[in-house]
Amino acid sequence: MIEIKNLSFSYGKKQVFNDFSTLISNNFATLLGGPNGSGKTTLLQLIGGVQKPDSGSIMINGHDIAKLKTHEQAELRSIAPQRRIFELPFTVQQIFAIIKPKRRAAHAEDVFEALDLYDLFPLKVTELSLGQQQRVSVALALIQSAEYYLLDEPLSAQDSAYTQKLLDLITLLSKTTGILVISHNTGHLAQYFDESIYLS
Amino acid sequence: MKKIALYIFFSTLALVLFAVSLRTGIVQIHTSLWHLLTHHSGTDATTVWQIRFPRAFGAALIGAGLGIAGAIAQGIFRNPLAEPTLIGLSSGATLGTIAVISSGAAAYGSRTNAASAILFAVIAALLVQLLAPNKGYGFLLTGIAISAILTALAGILISISPKPGIQSLSFWNFGSLALLNNGTVKIIAPFLEVGFISAFFVSRKLDAYSLGETSSHYIGINPKRLRLIAIISMAFLIGASVSAVGSIAFLGLLVPHIVRLLVGPAHRTMLSFSAIIGATLLLLADLLARTLFQPHEIPLGLITSLIGALALIILLRTQKSQWVAND
Repeated sequence: MIEIKNLSFSYGKKQVFNDFSTLISNNFATLLGGPNGSGKTTLLQLIGGVQKPDSGSIMINGHDIAKLKTHEQAELRSIAPQRRIFELPFTVQQIFAIIKPKRRAAHAEDVFEALDLYDLFPLKVTELSLGQQQRVSVALALIQSAEYYLLDEPLSAQDSAYTQKLLDLITLLSKTTGILVISHNTGHLAQYFDESIYLS
Repeated sequence: MKKIALYIFFSTLALVLFAVSLRTGIVQIHTSLWHLLTHHSGTDATTVWQIRFPRAFGAALIGAGLGIAGAIAQGIFRNPLAEPTLIGLSSGATLGTIAVISSGAAAYGSRTNAASAILFAVIAALLVQLLAPNKGYGFLLTGIAISAILTALAGILISISPKPGIQSLSFWNFGSLALLNNGTVKIIAPFLEVGFISAFFVSRKLDAYSLGETSSHYIGINPKRLRLIAIISMAFLIGASVSAVGSIAFLGLLVPHIVRLLVGPAHRTMLSFSAIIGATLLLLADLLARTLFQPHEIPLGLITSLIGALALIILLRTQKSQWVAND
Protein backbone atom coordinates (compact mmCIF):
# COMPACT_ATOMS: atom_id res chain seq x y z
CA MET A 1 0.00 0.00 0.00
CA ILE A 2 1.26 3.45 -0.91
CA GLU A 3 -0.43 5.80 1.49
CA ILE A 4 -0.47 9.50 0.70
CA LYS A 5 -1.79 11.54 3.57
CA ASN A 6 -2.67 15.28 3.68
CA LEU A 7 -0.04 16.06 1.06
CA SER A 8 0.64 19.69 0.24
CA PHE A 9 3.22 20.82 -2.27
CA SER A 10 3.86 23.94 -4.28
CA TYR A 11 6.37 25.18 -6.81
CA GLY A 12 7.01 28.70 -5.57
CA LYS A 13 3.56 30.28 -5.45
CA LYS A 14 1.87 27.67 -7.61
CA GLN A 15 0.12 25.20 -5.34
CA VAL A 16 0.07 21.74 -6.94
CA PHE A 17 -1.33 19.69 -4.05
CA ASN A 18 -3.42 20.95 -1.17
CA ASP A 19 -4.22 18.44 1.54
CA PHE A 20 -4.31 15.61 -0.97
CA SER A 21 -4.80 12.02 0.23
CA THR A 22 -5.02 8.76 -1.69
CA LEU A 23 -4.19 5.07 -1.49
CA ILE A 24 -2.45 2.99 -4.13
CA SER A 25 -2.99 -0.72 -3.61
CA ASN A 26 -0.54 -3.53 -4.08
CA ASN A 27 -1.29 -6.41 -6.47
CA PHE A 28 -3.25 -3.89 -8.45
CA ALA A 29 -2.83 -1.85 -11.61
CA THR A 30 -3.71 1.79 -11.07
CA LEU A 31 -4.09 4.41 -13.74
CA LEU A 32 -3.21 7.98 -12.80
CA GLY A 33 -4.82 10.44 -15.17
CA GLY A 34 -5.43 14.16 -15.47
CA PRO A 35 -4.77 17.06 -17.81
CA ASN A 36 -1.31 18.54 -18.45
CA GLY A 37 -0.04 20.39 -15.43
CA SER A 38 -2.37 18.66 -13.00
CA GLY A 39 0.58 17.30 -11.01
CA LYS A 40 0.86 13.68 -12.21
CA THR A 41 4.61 13.78 -12.68
CA THR A 42 5.03 15.86 -9.52
CA LEU A 43 3.17 13.19 -7.55
CA LEU A 44 5.56 10.59 -8.91
CA GLN A 45 8.53 12.77 -7.96
CA LEU A 46 7.12 13.13 -4.46
CA ILE A 47 6.61 9.37 -4.11
CA GLY A 48 10.07 8.86 -5.62
CA GLY A 49 11.69 11.21 -3.12
CA VAL A 50 13.03 13.64 -5.73
CA GLN A 51 10.71 16.36 -4.42
CA LYS A 52 9.95 16.86 -0.73
CA PRO A 53 6.37 17.64 0.36
CA ASP A 54 5.69 20.96 2.14
CA SER A 55 3.53 18.98 4.56
CA GLY A 56 1.88 15.59 4.78
CA SER A 57 3.42 12.16 4.50
CA ILE A 58 4.00 9.38 2.00
CA MET A 59 4.29 5.83 3.28
CA ILE A 60 5.22 2.82 1.16
CA ASN A 61 4.24 -0.45 2.84
CA GLY A 62 4.44 1.26 6.21
CA HIS A 63 7.80 3.01 5.61
CA ASP A 64 7.84 6.79 5.71
CA ILE A 65 9.92 7.62 2.65
CA ALA A 66 11.18 10.86 4.19
CA LYS A 67 13.14 8.69 6.63
CA LEU A 68 14.65 6.33 4.05
CA LYS A 69 18.01 6.60 2.27
CA THR A 70 17.97 6.80 -1.52
CA HIS A 71 18.96 3.16 -1.99
CA GLU A 72 16.40 2.00 0.59
CA GLN A 73 13.66 3.83 -1.33
CA ALA A 74 14.80 2.08 -4.50
CA GLU A 75 14.22 -1.32 -2.89
CA LEU A 76 10.56 -0.46 -2.26
CA ARG A 77 9.63 1.14 -5.56
CA SER A 78 11.01 1.37 -9.05
CA ILE A 79 10.18 4.33 -11.27
CA ALA A 80 10.43 4.97 -14.98
CA PRO A 81 10.72 8.73 -15.41
CA GLN A 82 9.12 10.35 -18.42
CA ARG A 83 12.54 10.77 -19.96
CA ARG A 84 15.98 9.36 -19.46
CA ILE A 85 19.05 10.90 -21.00
CA PHE A 86 20.69 8.68 -23.59
CA GLU A 87 23.81 10.60 -24.60
CA LEU A 88 26.58 8.07 -24.30
CA PRO A 89 26.82 5.23 -26.82
CA PHE A 90 26.12 2.38 -24.40
CA THR A 91 24.74 -0.81 -25.90
CA VAL A 92 21.23 -1.67 -24.72
CA GLN A 93 22.75 -4.63 -22.87
CA GLN A 94 25.10 -2.27 -21.00
CA ILE A 95 22.13 -0.10 -20.05
CA PHE A 96 20.38 -3.09 -18.47
CA ALA A 97 23.64 -4.10 -16.75
CA ILE A 98 23.29 -0.90 -14.69
CA ILE A 99 20.92 -2.96 -12.53
CA LYS A 100 23.22 -5.32 -10.67
CA PRO A 101 22.21 -9.03 -10.54
CA LYS A 102 21.23 -8.90 -6.86
CA ARG A 103 18.88 -5.99 -7.54
CA ARG A 104 17.28 -7.68 -10.52
CA ALA A 105 13.64 -8.82 -10.38
CA ALA A 106 12.75 -12.48 -10.98
CA HIS A 107 10.50 -11.40 -13.85
CA ALA A 108 13.29 -9.56 -15.73
CA GLU A 109 13.44 -12.15 -18.54
CA ASP A 110 9.67 -11.88 -19.02
CA VAL A 111 10.02 -8.13 -19.49
CA PHE A 112 12.75 -8.51 -22.13
CA GLU A 113 10.67 -11.16 -23.86
CA ALA A 114 7.38 -9.26 -23.79
CA LEU A 115 8.85 -6.04 -25.18
CA ASP A 116 11.08 -7.75 -27.81
CA LEU A 117 14.20 -6.28 -26.24
CA TYR A 118 16.63 -9.15 -26.86
CA ASP A 119 16.89 -7.99 -30.48
CA LEU A 120 18.02 -4.56 -29.30
CA PHE A 121 20.71 -5.82 -26.86
CA PRO A 122 23.72 -5.35 -29.18
CA LEU A 123 22.55 -1.97 -30.53
CA LYS A 124 23.71 1.42 -29.30
CA VAL A 125 21.03 3.13 -27.30
CA THR A 126 21.87 6.48 -28.90
CA GLU A 127 20.96 5.08 -32.32
CA LEU A 128 17.53 3.75 -31.39
CA SER A 129 14.22 5.35 -32.35
CA LEU A 130 12.33 7.32 -29.71
CA GLY A 131 9.85 4.48 -29.23
CA GLN A 132 12.66 1.93 -28.79
CA GLN A 133 14.42 4.18 -26.29
CA GLN A 134 11.18 4.47 -24.36
CA ARG A 135 10.81 0.69 -24.22
CA VAL A 136 14.39 0.41 -22.92
CA SER A 137 13.70 3.10 -20.33
CA VAL A 138 10.46 1.48 -19.11
CA ALA A 139 12.08 -1.97 -19.05
CA LEU A 140 15.00 -0.59 -17.01
CA ALA A 141 12.48 0.29 -14.30
CA LEU A 142 10.56 -2.99 -14.59
CA ILE A 143 13.61 -5.28 -14.23
CA GLN A 144 14.54 -3.85 -10.82
CA SER A 145 13.25 -5.83 -7.90
CA ALA A 146 10.68 -3.69 -6.06
CA GLU A 147 7.23 -3.85 -4.51
CA TYR A 148 5.77 -1.07 -6.67
CA TYR A 149 6.39 -0.01 -10.23
CA LEU A 150 5.52 3.55 -11.17
CA LEU A 151 5.65 4.41 -14.86
CA ASP A 152 5.42 7.99 -16.13
CA GLU A 153 3.77 8.10 -19.58
CA PRO A 154 5.25 4.74 -20.68
CA LEU A 155 3.05 4.59 -23.79
CA SER A 156 3.48 8.07 -25.24
CA ALA A 157 5.87 7.00 -28.03
CA GLN A 158 4.52 3.49 -28.67
CA ASP A 159 2.60 2.26 -31.69
CA SER A 160 -0.60 0.28 -31.14
CA ALA A 161 1.17 -3.11 -31.20
CA TYR A 162 3.62 -2.18 -28.44
CA THR A 163 0.95 -0.31 -26.50
CA GLN A 164 -0.96 -3.61 -26.36
CA LYS A 165 2.17 -5.61 -25.43
CA LEU A 166 3.02 -3.21 -22.62
CA LEU A 167 -0.57 -3.22 -21.31
CA ASP A 168 -0.54 -7.04 -21.28
CA LEU A 169 2.76 -7.00 -19.42
CA ILE A 170 1.37 -4.53 -16.88
CA THR A 171 -1.68 -6.77 -16.33
CA LEU A 172 0.63 -9.75 -15.81
CA LEU A 173 2.97 -7.98 -13.38
CA SER A 174 0.11 -6.44 -11.41
CA LYS A 175 -0.87 -9.91 -10.19
CA THR A 176 2.19 -9.96 -7.95
CA THR A 177 3.17 -6.29 -7.55
CA GLY A 178 1.59 -2.85 -7.41
CA ILE A 179 1.74 -0.84 -10.63
CA LEU A 180 0.88 2.78 -11.21
CA VAL A 181 0.79 4.15 -14.74
CA ILE A 182 0.56 7.82 -15.58
CA SER A 183 -1.22 8.81 -18.74
CA HIS A 184 -2.92 11.98 -19.88
CA ASN A 185 -4.94 9.86 -22.26
CA THR A 186 -6.99 7.80 -19.85
CA GLY A 187 -10.25 7.25 -21.71
CA HIS A 188 -9.59 4.04 -23.61
CA LEU A 189 -6.94 2.78 -21.17
CA ALA A 190 -9.17 2.58 -18.10
CA GLN A 191 -10.49 -0.88 -19.06
CA TYR A 192 -7.00 -2.38 -18.58
CA PHE A 193 -6.66 -1.12 -15.01
CA ASP A 194 -8.18 -2.14 -11.70
CA GLU A 195 -8.54 1.43 -10.54
CA SER A 196 -8.18 4.99 -11.77
CA ILE A 197 -7.13 8.12 -9.94
CA TYR A 198 -7.90 11.39 -11.66
CA LEU A 199 -6.09 14.60 -10.79
CA SER A 200 -7.72 17.84 -11.83
CA MET B 1 39.53 -9.91 -25.80
CA LYS B 2 40.07 -6.69 -27.72
CA LYS B 3 40.10 -4.82 -24.41
CA ILE B 4 42.69 -7.12 -22.84
CA ALA B 5 44.91 -6.85 -25.92
CA LEU B 6 44.61 -3.06 -25.87
CA TYR B 7 45.41 -2.96 -22.18
CA ILE B 8 48.51 -5.08 -22.65
CA PHE B 9 49.55 -2.90 -25.58
CA PHE B 10 49.31 0.35 -23.61
CA SER B 11 50.93 -1.14 -20.51
CA THR B 12 53.86 -2.30 -22.61
CA LEU B 13 54.08 1.09 -24.31
CA ALA B 14 54.11 2.81 -20.90
CA LEU B 15 56.86 0.49 -19.67
CA VAL B 16 58.97 1.10 -22.78
CA LEU B 17 58.55 4.87 -22.45
CA PHE B 18 59.42 4.56 -18.77
CA ALA B 19 62.67 2.75 -19.61
CA VAL B 20 63.51 5.23 -22.37
CA SER B 21 62.89 8.09 -19.91
CA LEU B 22 65.43 6.55 -17.52
CA ARG B 23 68.03 6.24 -20.28
CA THR B 24 67.49 9.59 -21.97
CA GLY B 25 68.83 12.95 -20.89
CA ILE B 26 71.68 15.39 -21.17
CA VAL B 27 73.98 13.14 -19.16
CA GLN B 28 74.88 9.98 -21.08
CA ILE B 29 74.33 6.71 -19.24
CA HIS B 30 76.96 4.08 -19.95
CA THR B 31 75.69 1.30 -17.73
CA SER B 32 72.71 -0.86 -18.73
CA LEU B 33 69.44 -0.32 -16.86
CA TRP B 34 69.43 -4.00 -16.05
CA HIS B 35 72.76 -3.64 -14.26
CA LEU B 36 71.60 -0.50 -12.46
CA LEU B 37 68.54 -2.33 -11.15
CA THR B 38 70.75 -4.17 -8.69
CA HIS B 39 73.67 -1.70 -8.37
CA HIS B 40 72.80 1.58 -6.73
CA SER B 41 76.20 3.26 -6.58
CA GLY B 42 78.16 5.33 -9.07
CA THR B 43 77.22 8.44 -11.05
CA ASP B 44 75.06 6.56 -13.55
CA ALA B 45 73.05 5.04 -10.69
CA THR B 46 72.63 8.44 -9.05
CA THR B 47 71.47 10.02 -12.32
CA VAL B 48 68.96 7.25 -12.98
CA TRP B 49 67.63 6.61 -9.47
CA GLN B 50 67.80 10.07 -7.90
CA ILE B 51 66.90 12.25 -10.88
CA ARG B 52 65.24 10.35 -13.71
CA PHE B 53 63.36 7.64 -11.83
CA PRO B 54 61.28 9.98 -9.62
CA ARG B 55 60.54 12.11 -12.65
CA ALA B 56 59.38 9.17 -14.79
CA PHE B 57 57.53 7.51 -11.93
CA GLY B 58 55.89 10.83 -11.04
CA ALA B 59 54.94 11.35 -14.70
CA ALA B 60 53.24 7.95 -14.79
CA LEU B 61 51.36 8.53 -11.52
CA ILE B 62 50.30 12.07 -12.37
CA GLY B 63 49.36 11.12 -15.94
CA ALA B 64 47.17 8.32 -14.60
CA GLY B 65 45.62 10.74 -12.12
CA LEU B 66 44.88 13.39 -14.76
CA GLY B 67 43.36 10.79 -17.09
CA ILE B 68 41.11 9.45 -14.34
CA ALA B 69 40.14 12.92 -13.14
CA GLY B 70 39.15 13.82 -16.71
CA ALA B 71 37.00 10.70 -17.05
CA ILE B 72 35.27 11.39 -13.73
CA ALA B 73 34.74 15.06 -14.60
CA GLN B 74 33.06 14.29 -17.93
CA GLY B 75 30.93 11.61 -16.29
CA ILE B 76 29.81 13.51 -13.22
CA PHE B 77 29.04 16.76 -15.05
CA ARG B 78 27.60 14.86 -18.02
CA ASN B 79 29.54 17.15 -20.27
CA PRO B 80 32.16 16.15 -22.85
CA LEU B 81 33.99 19.43 -22.25
CA ALA B 82 34.19 19.23 -18.48
CA GLU B 83 37.82 19.13 -17.54
CA PRO B 84 39.60 19.79 -14.24
CA THR B 85 41.26 22.94 -15.62
CA LEU B 86 37.92 24.27 -16.90
CA ILE B 87 35.91 23.73 -13.74
CA GLY B 88 38.10 25.47 -11.21
CA LEU B 89 39.93 22.47 -9.76
CA SER B 90 43.36 23.23 -11.21
CA SER B 91 43.34 26.96 -10.57
CA GLY B 92 42.01 26.34 -7.06
CA ALA B 93 44.88 23.94 -6.47
CA THR B 94 47.37 26.45 -7.88
CA LEU B 95 46.11 29.17 -5.56
CA GLY B 96 46.19 26.74 -2.63
CA THR B 97 49.80 25.88 -3.39
CA ILE B 98 50.95 29.46 -3.86
CA ALA B 99 49.04 30.69 -0.80
CA VAL B 100 50.92 28.40 1.57
CA ILE B 101 54.31 28.90 -0.10
CA SER B 102 54.05 32.69 -0.32
CA SER B 103 52.80 33.05 3.25
CA GLY B 104 55.71 30.94 4.38
CA ALA B 105 53.36 28.41 5.98
CA ALA B 106 54.91 25.53 4.07
CA ALA B 107 57.60 24.79 1.54
CA TYR B 108 57.14 23.55 -2.02
CA GLY B 109 56.79 19.77 -2.08
CA SER B 110 55.66 19.49 1.53
CA ARG B 111 52.62 17.59 2.78
CA THR B 112 50.96 20.85 3.88
CA ASN B 113 51.44 22.21 0.38
CA ALA B 114 49.64 19.24 -1.19
CA ALA B 115 46.86 19.29 1.42
CA SER B 116 46.26 22.99 0.89
CA ALA B 117 46.10 22.51 -2.90
CA ILE B 118 43.49 19.77 -2.43
CA LEU B 119 41.41 21.87 -0.04
CA PHE B 120 41.41 24.90 -2.36
CA ALA B 121 40.54 22.67 -5.31
CA VAL B 122 37.46 21.35 -3.48
CA ILE B 123 36.37 24.86 -2.51
CA ALA B 124 36.86 26.18 -6.05
CA ALA B 125 34.85 23.33 -7.59
CA LEU B 126 32.03 23.76 -5.08
CA LEU B 127 32.01 27.50 -5.74
CA VAL B 128 31.65 26.90 -9.48
CA GLN B 129 28.74 24.54 -8.81
CA LEU B 130 27.10 27.02 -6.48
CA LEU B 131 27.39 29.96 -8.88
CA ALA B 132 26.64 28.18 -12.16
CA PRO B 133 23.21 29.16 -13.52
CA ASN B 134 22.79 25.86 -15.37
CA LYS B 135 24.61 22.61 -16.04
CA GLY B 136 25.59 23.17 -19.66
CA TYR B 137 27.44 26.19 -21.00
CA GLY B 138 26.59 28.23 -17.91
CA PHE B 139 28.51 25.74 -15.82
CA LEU B 140 31.57 25.74 -18.07
CA LEU B 141 31.61 29.53 -18.42
CA THR B 142 31.34 29.93 -14.65
CA GLY B 143 34.24 27.49 -14.35
CA ILE B 144 36.32 29.53 -16.77
CA ALA B 145 35.48 32.77 -14.93
CA ILE B 146 36.31 31.36 -11.49
CA SER B 147 39.51 29.85 -12.88
CA ALA B 148 40.55 33.23 -14.24
CA ILE B 149 39.90 34.92 -10.90
CA LEU B 150 41.82 32.30 -8.93
CA THR B 151 44.74 32.35 -11.36
CA ALA B 152 44.87 36.15 -11.16
CA LEU B 153 44.91 35.95 -7.34
CA ALA B 154 47.72 33.40 -7.53
CA GLY B 155 49.67 35.70 -9.87
CA ILE B 156 49.22 38.64 -7.50
CA LEU B 157 50.49 36.57 -4.57
CA ILE B 158 53.56 35.57 -6.55
CA SER B 159 54.28 39.19 -7.49
CA ILE B 160 53.94 40.67 -4.02
CA SER B 161 55.62 37.89 -2.11
CA PRO B 162 58.65 36.58 -3.97
CA LYS B 163 59.70 33.68 -1.78
CA PRO B 164 62.49 31.38 -2.92
CA GLY B 165 61.02 28.24 -4.47
CA ILE B 166 57.70 29.83 -5.35
CA GLN B 167 58.43 29.59 -9.10
CA SER B 168 56.95 31.74 -11.82
CA LEU B 169 53.26 31.83 -12.75
CA SER B 170 54.14 30.17 -16.04
CA PHE B 171 55.62 27.21 -14.14
CA TRP B 172 52.25 26.70 -12.43
CA ASN B 173 50.14 27.45 -15.48
CA PHE B 174 52.01 25.30 -17.98
CA GLY B 175 53.28 22.61 -15.70
CA SER B 176 56.72 21.05 -15.51
CA LEU B 177 58.07 17.85 -14.04
CA ALA B 178 61.53 19.40 -13.62
CA LEU B 179 61.25 19.75 -9.83
CA LEU B 180 60.04 16.20 -9.15
CA ASN B 181 62.36 14.29 -6.85
CA ASN B 182 61.99 11.21 -4.68
CA GLY B 183 60.84 13.32 -1.73
CA THR B 184 58.06 15.09 -3.65
CA VAL B 185 56.83 11.87 -5.24
CA LYS B 186 56.69 10.19 -1.84
CA ILE B 187 54.63 13.11 -0.50
CA ILE B 188 52.05 13.19 -3.30
CA ALA B 189 51.73 9.43 -3.91
CA PRO B 190 49.44 8.69 -0.92
CA PHE B 191 47.17 11.63 -1.86
CA LEU B 192 46.95 10.34 -5.42
CA GLU B 193 46.16 6.90 -4.07
CA VAL B 194 43.18 8.26 -2.13
CA GLY B 195 42.06 9.85 -5.41
CA PHE B 196 42.46 6.60 -7.37
CA ILE B 197 40.50 4.51 -4.88
CA SER B 198 37.64 6.99 -4.46
CA ALA B 199 37.48 7.47 -8.24
CA PHE B 200 36.89 3.75 -8.77
CA PHE B 201 34.16 3.87 -6.13
CA VAL B 202 32.50 6.75 -8.00
CA SER B 203 32.91 5.11 -11.40
CA ARG B 204 30.69 2.16 -10.41
CA LYS B 205 27.77 4.56 -10.26
CA LEU B 206 28.52 6.81 -13.21
CA ASP B 207 26.85 4.59 -15.81
CA ALA B 208 23.54 4.88 -13.97
CA TYR B 209 24.17 8.57 -13.32
CA SER B 210 24.68 9.24 -17.04
CA LEU B 211 20.94 8.63 -17.64
CA GLY B 212 20.10 11.79 -15.69
CA GLU B 213 19.83 12.90 -12.08
CA THR B 214 16.19 12.02 -11.55
CA SER B 215 16.72 8.65 -13.21
CA SER B 216 19.74 7.90 -11.02
CA HIS B 217 17.84 8.90 -7.89
CA TYR B 218 15.06 6.49 -8.86
CA ILE B 219 17.64 3.72 -9.38
CA GLY B 220 18.88 4.29 -5.83
CA ILE B 221 21.85 6.64 -6.19
CA ASN B 222 21.96 9.89 -4.26
CA PRO B 223 23.17 12.31 -6.96
CA LYS B 224 24.26 15.10 -4.62
CA ARG B 225 26.34 12.75 -2.55
CA LEU B 226 27.88 11.14 -5.63
CA ARG B 227 28.82 14.56 -7.01
CA LEU B 228 30.45 15.58 -3.74
CA ILE B 229 32.51 12.39 -3.56
CA ALA B 230 33.50 12.84 -7.21
CA ILE B 231 34.65 16.40 -6.57
CA ILE B 232 36.69 15.35 -3.54
CA SER B 233 38.17 12.48 -5.50
CA MET B 234 39.17 14.76 -8.40
CA ALA B 235 40.52 17.33 -5.94
CA PHE B 236 42.87 14.72 -4.46
CA LEU B 237 44.12 13.78 -7.94
CA ILE B 238 44.41 17.32 -9.30
CA GLY B 239 45.47 18.99 -6.04
CA ALA B 240 48.30 16.56 -5.37
CA SER B 241 49.66 16.82 -8.90
CA VAL B 242 49.30 20.59 -9.23
CA SER B 243 51.09 21.09 -5.91
CA ALA B 244 54.11 19.29 -7.38
CA VAL B 245 54.11 20.00 -11.11
CA GLY B 246 51.59 22.77 -11.82
CA SER B 247 48.55 22.34 -14.04
CA ILE B 248 49.06 20.33 -17.17
CA ALA B 249 46.64 21.28 -19.90
CA PHE B 250 44.49 19.11 -22.15
CA LEU B 251 45.44 15.68 -20.85
CA GLY B 252 42.33 15.38 -18.70
CA LEU B 253 40.16 16.53 -21.60
CA LEU B 254 41.75 14.39 -24.29
CA VAL B 255 42.29 11.06 -22.55
CA PRO B 256 38.61 10.17 -21.89
CA HIS B 257 37.74 10.93 -25.51
CA ILE B 258 40.45 8.55 -26.76
CA VAL B 259 39.37 5.92 -24.26
CA ARG B 260 35.67 6.13 -25.13
CA LEU B 261 36.61 5.66 -28.75
CA LEU B 262 38.69 2.56 -27.96
CA VAL B 263 36.61 0.74 -25.34
CA GLY B 264 33.19 2.44 -25.21
CA PRO B 265 31.54 4.51 -22.53
CA ALA B 266 31.23 2.08 -19.56
CA HIS B 267 32.91 4.02 -16.78
CA ARG B 268 34.66 1.25 -14.88
CA THR B 269 36.48 0.09 -17.98
CA MET B 270 37.05 3.70 -18.99
CA LEU B 271 38.77 4.46 -15.73
CA SER B 272 41.43 1.76 -15.92
CA PHE B 273 42.14 2.71 -19.53
CA SER B 274 42.21 6.43 -18.72
CA ALA B 275 44.85 5.66 -16.09
CA ILE B 276 47.15 3.71 -18.38
CA ILE B 277 46.70 6.01 -21.40
CA GLY B 278 47.12 9.11 -19.24
CA ALA B 279 50.37 7.67 -17.87
CA THR B 280 51.59 6.78 -21.35
CA LEU B 281 50.83 10.22 -22.79
CA LEU B 282 52.44 12.13 -19.94
CA LEU B 283 55.59 9.99 -20.10
CA LEU B 284 55.72 10.68 -23.84
CA ALA B 285 55.06 14.41 -23.44
CA ASP B 286 57.75 14.78 -20.77
CA LEU B 287 60.23 12.86 -22.88
CA LEU B 288 59.54 15.23 -25.79
CA ALA B 289 59.74 18.29 -23.51
CA ARG B 290 63.18 17.19 -22.35
CA THR B 291 64.66 16.04 -25.65
CA LEU B 292 63.12 17.99 -28.56
CA PHE B 293 65.30 21.07 -28.15
CA GLN B 294 68.10 19.72 -26.02
CA PRO B 295 69.76 21.19 -24.01
CA HIS B 296 66.71 23.46 -23.57
CA GLU B 297 63.74 22.01 -21.79
CA ILE B 298 60.37 23.34 -22.90
CA PRO B 299 57.44 23.57 -20.47
CA LEU B 300 55.53 20.31 -20.46
CA GLY B 301 52.15 22.02 -20.74
CA LEU B 302 53.15 23.44 -24.13
CA ILE B 303 53.71 19.91 -25.46
CA THR B 304 50.45 18.59 -24.00
CA SER B 305 48.60 21.63 -25.37
CA LEU B 306 50.07 21.19 -28.84
CA ILE B 307 49.52 17.46 -29.12
CA GLY B 308 46.39 17.37 -27.02
CA ALA B 309 44.53 20.18 -28.72
CA LEU B 310 45.39 18.91 -32.21
CA ALA B 311 44.37 15.37 -31.34
CA LEU B 312 41.15 16.65 -29.80
CA ILE B 313 40.19 18.59 -32.94
CA ILE B 314 40.78 15.48 -35.05
CA LEU B 315 38.83 13.28 -32.64
CA LEU B 316 35.90 15.66 -32.48
CA ARG B 317 35.69 15.90 -36.25
CA THR B 318 35.90 12.17 -36.93
CA GLN B 319 33.85 10.85 -34.01
CA LYS B 320 30.73 12.94 -33.90
CA SER B 321 28.64 10.11 -32.52
CA GLN B 322 30.63 9.50 -29.35
CA TRP B 323 28.67 11.91 -27.24
CA VAL B 324 25.18 12.76 -28.43
CA ALA B 325 24.03 15.93 -26.74
CA ASN B 326 20.25 15.81 -26.58
CA ASP B 327 19.77 17.84 -23.48
